[in-house]
Amino acid sequence: MDTVTTDIAVVGAGGAGLRAAIAAAEADPAVSVLLVSKVYPMRSHTCAAEGGAAAVAKSDDSLEYHFNDTVTGADWLADQDAVELFVNEIPRELTLLEHWGCPWSREDAGEVAVRPFGGMKIKRTWYAADKTGFHMLHTLFQTSLKYPSIKRLDEHFCVDLLVDDGRCHGLTAMEVRTGRMKMIKAKAVIIASGGAGRIFAFTTNGAIKTGDGMAMAYRAGVPLKDMEFVQYHPTGLPGSGILLTEGCRGEGGYLLNKDNYRYLQDYNLGPAEDKPRLKAMELGPRDRLSQAFYHESQKGRTVETKWGDVVYLDMRHLGEKLIDERLPLVRDLARSYVNADPVTDLVPVRPVVHYMMGGIHTDINAATTIDGLYAAGECACVTINGANRLGSNSLGELLVFGARAGRFAVEHVKSVKAPGDIIEKQAADSEGRVKALFRRPKSGERVAAMRNALTLSMEDGCGIYRTEETIRSTCNTITDLRARFQDLALEDHSNVFNTDLYQALELGCMIEVAHTVAQSALERKESRGAHQRLDYEARDDATYLKHSMAYYNPNGDPRIDYADVVITKSQPAARVYGGSAA
Amino acid sequence: MTERKIELEVLRYRPEQDAEPWFQTYTVPCPEEWVVLDALNYVKDEIDRTLSYRWSCHMFVCGSCGMVIDGEPKLACKAFLRDYGDKIRVEPLANFPIERDLVIVMDDFMEKLESVKPYLIPKEEKSLDEGSYLQTPAQLKAYKQYSMCINCMLCYSACPQYGLAPEFIGPAALALAHRYNMDSRDVGRKAREDTVASHEGIWECSFVGACSEVCPKSVDPAGAIQQVKFSSAIDYFTSWLPGGGSR
Amino acid sequence: MSRKPYQRELPKTTWFLRHARYKKYMLHEISAIAVAVYLLILIVGLFRLAQGPDAWAGWLAFVTSPLGLVIHLIVFGLSLVHTTAWFKAVPQAMRIQRGEQFVPGPTIVGAHYVVWAAVSVFVLILAGVA
Repeated sequence: MDTVTTDIAVVGAGGAGLRAAIAAAEADPAVSVLLVSKVYPMRSHTCAAEGGAAAVAKSDDSLEYHFNDTVTGADWLADQDAVELFVNEIPRELTLLEHWGCPWSREDAGEVAVRPFGGMKIKRTWYAADKTGFHMLHTLFQTSLKYPSIKRLDEHFCVDLLVDDGRCHGLTAMEVRTGRMKMIKAKAVIIASGGAGRIFAFTTNGAIKTGDGMAMAYRAGVPLKDMEFVQYHPTGLPGSGILLTEGCRGEGGYLLNKDNYRYLQDYNLGPAEDKPRLKAMELGPRDRLSQAFYHESQKGRTVETKWGDVVYLDMRHLGEKLIDERLPLVRDLARSYVNADPVTDLVPVRPVVHYMMGGIHTDINAATTIDGLYAAGECACVTINGANRLGSNSLGELLVFGARAGRFAVEHVKSVKAPGDIIEKQAADSEGRVKALFRRPKSGERVAAMRNALTLSMEDGCGIYRTEETIRSTCNTITDLRARFQDLALEDHSNVFNTDLYQALELGCMIEVAHTVAQSALERKESRGAHQRLDYEARDDATYLKHSMAYYNPNGDPRIDYADVVITKSQPAARVYGGSAA
Repeated sequence: MTERKIELEVLRYRPEQDAEPWFQTYTVPCPEEWVVLDALNYVKDEIDRTLSYRWSCHMFVCGSCGMVIDGEPKLACKAFLRDYGDKIRVEPLANFPIERDLVIVMDDFMEKLESVKPYLIPKEEKSLDEGSYLQTPAQLKAYKQYSMCINCMLCYSACPQYGLAPEFIGPAALALAHRYNMDSRDVGRKAREDTVASHEGIWECSFVGACSEVCPKSVDPAGAIQQVKFSSAIDYFTSWLPGGGSR
Repeated sequence: MSRKPYQRELPKTTWFLRHARYKKYMLHEISAIAVAVYLLILIVGLFRLAQGPDAWAGWLAFVTSPLGLVIHLIVFGLSLVHTTAWFKAVPQAMRIQRGEQFVPGPTIVGAHYVVWAAVSVFVLILAGVA
């Protein structure tokens, strides 16, 4: 097995990973940084984020407003010290991106423009048309090329962390084009591997979002926090699950049911006015909008299609000029995939799995419970998102906490002694595990069939609304799949770019991550934010104003523990949107 | 109703078994909204686990799934089956070595992309306390088109010049250099010129224009290269004028 | 067992036969030769003029002969191909921004055709044809 040595290894080269690498390189150019990703940096899923990133920029806005919007949106499950830090730091981060060339959309005089997003008191979303994540990712990647201390291992699949005596000493990774395993010795590891939306059947997430980094930390003993909170984005294209940005509604789009009625006014989100009103109607938070869809569907007021029930996104009144200028990708996608031109047609949409609020448990410095192991971005859970993330806070989060991870990792590197011998043995075990998978016979359980069983079961049991019965059924499916994974078939036995093996490794991670989602959902007997139980409809602060912590158990269900939520200045209250929102 | 079926002729190359590439035919269903990528995923999941290709976002933005489809470089996620006949030929991008099946080796592209200093080079470092640069919508528009490249490499596949002279830096990388050159916040044109205005750079381009025709994001790299040629030529001539600079 | 990337060579002389757009490109390139040929014919004409009336009459006889007319037609056709191809490409190479918007491509191309027509008319007037 080849050995690669670096000071800091970053798992994942998307927004958070690149930001962490640059922060580390700027903090100390003498510290070597290695970006290890299963894809090339520009393929990372940050590129698919459309709408924008929130930061206080205008004089009518304030950090306090951003704090309150975020905490309220999170249904008070966010840690308020983290939110406070986040809203303070994000304006500087977005400005930094501007200095690096990010093509933010502008006002006439040349100032950065902002647009409204759901759950916001004042509009504060910086955007680059409807390709904000794409431009941020490419700006970060291209900027990272300036720093000689940043090296990359592209298309290397990270497999296991190497941990000895509570301290992380590196990881193992498989080079995809040769199938060779490598031991990457590092004084600090930052996981920035993104979310796991692919554990659901219907998702906006790209194929690569299989929760590999989450699973890696989880198996090494770090708890996964608040995993039951899965965000459904209200406007995905039926069939493909392709995202249509919240910017469609921020710019003034309506959601209509089959009677051409703006149904959100029936769910405490009114009044229905022609112009977009902040924190009301279509600019309510994502959890409320997705839940309203479910109820409309129950009432038979949605439209049946071959892809399931849909409602309509109406942007016709926005006009061709505005749509082409601010929502060009949306127009392209809708025309191509559902043959509907937003300029002239209603666009069918339905809620779709979009984001994991939960993830690797970290503190406010992006540090995990393992010394020298950090996490940032969607794979991590600080948490500023709590039970429901506000649209346009995730792009900010990956910058703020990516940068912190990079800086704190540099500090850590300076104090570290050399790794022990035990990690060589761990690396050999890790290689053995991959080789065993590689040598699986051609007959047995098929990767694709197991993946379908998992994703459909997650959709059924852990969807927008859940009950003990549905979740239990999903838990049983997962237990079954964990057993079946031992009999997995591998039909491709070549070393070069073996995507059968690649997908088998991903499937293993998906099953573990899905297990934490289902188990955490089962044990949270209340409804809060994106976790809605039909059998426990009320929020229960007395018992569950807590973070769930899922601990790995190789032979059974994850052990769920709870940790306190940090509350500094905003006491839990009712979440009010619509006309009476503050 | 019997569903329409089509034949997918996919170029296979398994380096450990095959001396050279060959075509394998798969029969796949053809729903109205399917793209070639969906058909490949069907093959991978239902017929043949050994087929390898890259993909991720399925929404024209990650740039992973560039392939040659019926002779034309395309994103597999943007090539709808409904627009093709009953037989579709799928090959890896041209002008790159084939790693395996539809996966090409893209090391050369990455090196070229990195060689053009594709990052903002400001006149002087601006502190964060000074806030953002001002940039009017007109100044933004001047370079915006060239910032839309998703690095899918369809342009390299279409460019005969790159095929014939592999040292050519190529359309996407040169367009990216132009993107920064045209940015009102950037003063790095001179710094990039050594690479960009070299023989391997813009002057290798003979303006076939194929890159711009196949670009899925309308970046128009051919246009960008001609514009750089024009400004480099002006630089050259003005350098001979009295007081004309560095020559 | 390991990597063995397969390198495909582009055939050095026949590559352009692979796709219609490359054939079109080659036609544009070759059409430049036609322009050069016509220049050559004109230069020969000048020399003949300098050599006296007989030489000039011979040259005139050649260019008005059936063969001369056929050559003219071919050269004219290819010159048209050349000119229209380059006019079409001008907006890509020359972007003109007025305020926020770029001057539309057809306007730039149209301006070229207008100038072309004006120059042609001027030359024809000079030649006493119009």
